[in-house]
Amino acid sequence: MGIKIVSRQLSGEYEKVLRREQRSFMTGNEVVAWAALAAGADLMYGYPITPQNEIMHYWARLTPHFGRGFLQTEDEMSAGFAMPGGALVGKKTFSATAGPGNILMQEPIAMAEMMRIPGVWIIQQRGGPSTATVIYSQQELRLTATGGNGEGLRIVYSTASHQELFEYTIKAFNSAWRYRFPTFVLGDGYQAKMREAVTLFRPENRGWELVPAEPILCLPGVPARDRDPVHLRNTFNLEEELYTRLMDQLAVYERIAPEVTEWEAEVPPEPEVLLVAHGIVARAARQAKESLNRQGWKVGYFRPVTVRPFPGQALRQIAAASPNLRLLVVESAYGQLLAMVKAELYGLTNPVDSLLKPGVGITAEEIAAAVDQTEEGEAVS
Amino acid sequence: MVAEKTWKILIAGEGGQGVQSIGELLAEAAFQAGKEALYIPNFGVEQRGGVSIAFVQIAEGSIGAPKFQKADLVAVLSERAGERIKGYLRAGTIYLYDQSAFKPPVIDDRTVGIQGYETVAPEAFARMTGAEPGPPPRPPAADGVRLVGIPAAQVAKTELTNRVFNIIVLGAIVQLIQVLSPAQVEAAIEKKFGEKFRAKPELKTWNLQALAKGLELVAAPEPVRS
Repeated sequence: MGIKIVSRQLSGEYEKVLRREQRSFMTGNEVVAWAALAAGADLMYGYPITPQNEIMHYWARLTPHFGRGFLQTEDEMSAGFAMPGGALVGKKTFSATAGPGNILMQEPIAMAEMMRIPGVWIIQQRGGPSTATVIYSQQELRLTATGGNGEGLRIVYSTASHQELFEYTIKAFNSAWRYRFPTFVLGDGYQAKMREAVTLFRPENRGWELVPAEPILCLPGVPARDRDPVHLRNTFNLEEELYTRLMDQLAVYERIAPEVTEWEAEVPPEPEVLLVAHGIVARAARQAKESLNRQGWKVGYFRPVTVRPFPGQALRQIAAASPNLRLLVVESAYGQLLAMVKAELYGLTNPVDSLLKPGVGITAEEIAAAVDQTEEGEAVS
Repeated sequence: MVAEKTWKILIAGEGGQGVQSIGELLAEAAFQAGKEALYIPNFGVEQRGGVSIAFVQIAEGSIGAPKFQKADLVAVLSERAGERIKGYLRAGTIYLYDQSAFKPPVIDDRTVGIQGYETVAPEAFARMTGAEPGPPPRPPAADGVRLVGIPAAQVAKTELTNRVFNIIVLGAIVQLIQVLSPAQVEAAIEKKFGEKFRAKPELKTWNLQALAKGLELVAAPEPVRS
């Protein structure tokens, strides 16, 4: 197949770039390629689709120098099914896709979910449904978090800056190989294509431990004599068999969820409005909050960093503490985050408003104006 | 006010005019100067000859959304681009435009013109760089917009070379925003084009002269920002 894995010799160039922490100015796709390198990724399998293409381009350019591998497959399903192959023999594998490619990859992702085979997917969301735009959206939230014919036992980090793209990509490899659930970095076309500053570093230099990838199949010894056999299944004959297996997996997922879940919250005393947003929209929400705070509004901000598992308990606590607190959910989709938020708030009486703009970016000014509208001039100036 | 600490700059023109290079160089220079900077091109399934737009923000503090609704400064390099970006104007927007009476460049490569699904206008494929005579542009009569016209294409053609047209515009932007030093912009130019300069040293001279020209062509503005 043409993939040659040479020994993991860090080349001089890599050493030069990541030896010392270095502030750089680059696109998000470039950041992801460097992060995968820093995380010790061995192989990328991919198929081109805008706006993630440059992840493949940069990775393919870096691989020959650093003993890593790249295979362009015939489509996204093939790329997705090749990934577990690499993971089974102890390689850290990843892919990147978007939009219709994300849909096609759901079948292999569901298999990885069923068989608990680790892998990392970078999703650079574009407009949908179908081909729609190659530009931007947050419409792949539901698909990425709970797509597939299963229970969505996945870990999904929604990033908001190049620094986070770098750090959460590294973290995603650790989470995938530590917990063995499919792990995602949920970006978007804006993050993919824009240039901004980022500090690149070798995780080891910051004391970050990199979880090693151990072979899952082809272990030493004779199965059943020297060791337990490895029997990974995605097919079950009996309903009860599947049920037992899934309940075990759900129990594991629920046990690890509290340590995986991440969020950001800034809530002033006696808050009137809580802005809720994820990903790049959260940047605008935070700016809107700061600008409104300066004008005397008691506005807070809540951002799920993991959109799966969702930080529902943290959000619910904030809402429950102030029954009159009005939530304003802001997203570049038509109610995908809103539905997750409402599910978590079930039974509480807090009013929930929304600013939903499927497929387009949202600015701080629009969010501030929406707060103004919902409160009808009740600001304390 | 946060709004006054952030420069929101929109550059719009035809593929071939070097719109995206201006955006990249501005953002790179601001980054080198230790400021927060964000640059994003418009990209999409543009048909050939589509208007190319670059969004740049330069700030002392953190930057929110990558794109914006109203610009502090627009640089408009063709009449059609002016039509396309009307919605970004507000009272007080600086409207920098090329007042030379030249036709904008045309992308005449069919294959490249289709652009597939990739990124920005294919600037390297324009048949010309805006140097054929044409009608003079008509800037907008929008309320409160501050018009700044410069003969960028004219100067490029008669004093330097058509290829550095965009660097003249870059110089004018740098002069208008007053947050970057010429040396910082020169460093960004060197970083982006260093390899080309080594292959063809006169390119460097042209680029640096074009930057200086652009700086001269507009008067330094009254300090409207605190």
